[in-house]
Amino acid sequence: MIYLDNAATTFPKPPDVLRDMVEIVQRSGVSPGRGSYDMATEAQRLVDETRAALARFFGTPDPQRVIFALNATDALNLAIQGLAQPGDHVVATRLEHNSVLRPLYHLRRQGVISYDLAPFNAAGTVEPEAVQAALKPNTRLVAISHVSNVLGTVQPIARIGKVCAERGVPLLVDCAQSAGVLPIDMEAMHISVLAFTGHKSLLGPTGIGGLAIQPGLEIRTTRFGGTGIDSRSLTHTQDMPHRLEAGTLNFMGIIGLSRGLDYVTQRGVGDIHEGEMALVRRLASGLGGLDNVEMYCAESFEERAAVLTINVKGMHPSDVGAILDGDFDIAVRTGLHCAPLVHETLGTFPEGAVRFSPGPFNSEDDIDRAVAAVTAISRSSAGR
Amino acid sequence: MGAPETPSEPPVPGRDPARHRVQRELGGRKVLMDGEGFFMHAEDWTREAALTLALEAGLARLTDDHWKVVDSLREYYFHHGRAPLNVELKKGTGMSLLELEALFPGGIKLGARRIAGLPNPKTCM
Repeated sequence: MIYLDNAATTFPKPPDVLRDMVEIVQRSGVSPGRGSYDMATEAQRLVDETRAALARFFGTPDPQRVIFALNATDALNLAIQGLAQPGDHVVATRLEHNSVLRPLYHLRRQGVISYDLAPFNAAGTVEPEAVQAALKPNTRLVAISHVSNVLGTVQPIARIGKVCAERGVPLLVDCAQSAGVLPIDMEAMHISVLAFTGHKSLLGPTGIGGLAIQPGLEIRTTRFGGTGIDSRSLTHTQDMPHRLEAGTLNFMGIIGLSRGLDYVTQRGVGDIHEGEMALVRRLASGLGGLDNVEMYCAESFEERAAVLTINVKGMHPSDVGAILDGDFDIAVRTGLHCAPLVHETLGTFPEGAVRFSPGPFNSEDDIDRAVAAVTAISRSSAGR
Repeated sequence: MGAPETPSEPPVPGRDPARHRVQRELGGRKVLMDGEGFFMHAEDWTREAALTLALEAGLARLTDDHWKVVDSLREYYFHHGRAPLNVELKKGTGMSLLELEALFPGGIKLGARRIAGLPNPKTCM
């Protein structure tokens, strides 16, 4: 199997990830920080170390403001619902994943907020001026993806962050597609809060993600329950990180995320990104000569992550994906990629498109075989 | 640079044809279909309905190869409660998926699967 769906979930994982998930849980897989016995203390230490490593990785000073959630969608829900207040206006963009669009739509339907969506240009980029134009006096949040999950285009977060900082509006960045392949410095990029997931380029397992929150930004509690501290009170603690974490943490997931992060930091974000981009360029070059293959936002591969989205003219994208899988043993993601507005803008709604996303363990041979497969598919389509 | 957009109400699902419901007469019986022309209930399908759908898709007749695909899809669906995996579809029909896609106007999903009367896949394909 040639796996080219790493933008959904990276596969395979570095060997240390699964090995340590199993070994550590076998040795001390108990509730972190929930007891006075040594194993619970040891589990808590591993959780704290992971928070600290993530804080360093994202350029934010306080590890206690790194909180764990299920994934980026879950974390974005925590941030959006914990920041938006009645009467607020929110700015997002047409690039967003449903993980942002749906919470915003839900809040609007509840009569809590209003929002506007900034457009992206032909290069797949949201210009800072577009965000600025969407701001209103009551705008209390700007939410944007660092990298489009459909196009792979990297957004000018530092410049958008500057716009937000000048207006005193918190900036929420969805780093689902960027964490692990692009350098992120929350301070330098004026990011107030970012959402990450463990199972993509941080090379951890599914079921773990979170938020990194800059000092000064207060996100309200929207979940309530056990935290292991202050148990006498019926009020959920406001201490971080517990304020935004209710219930026992996904300890096994945190271990896996920690080991994935170790791999990323040891190999280097730049090295991983460079390797993946070389594969995407090779893919685009191979497909570029095919008359009936349409590539989206493929004119330039500067400011990009390793995603290439295409369609074969005259063929449904889900059929292209099925043929790649069934006939060529190649896994890709087809459809709308949970980002319907991107496809509306591209003119590919509602069928969607075919997304290739190489990862850190793909080879040039994988790409050459993908090119050969798409060539065969496009010839079949063209021959009718 | 375009202007910021206040999303319409509702933002997307109302424009998704897979969410529409249409009642029509096929093969002498009333059947419920979605906006993409997929049966809502696979048991409503008849061979006459398949012939009508094929004709509408541009196939004057269904050959033995077409019926092999249709029958294979339906047998698998009713035995397992789901459509076959890609590899199972290949095995069941003895065709490559590239051949199967070319056999039906509309391809695998909008051609073969629809004519065979299987419901629209729920996953965001």
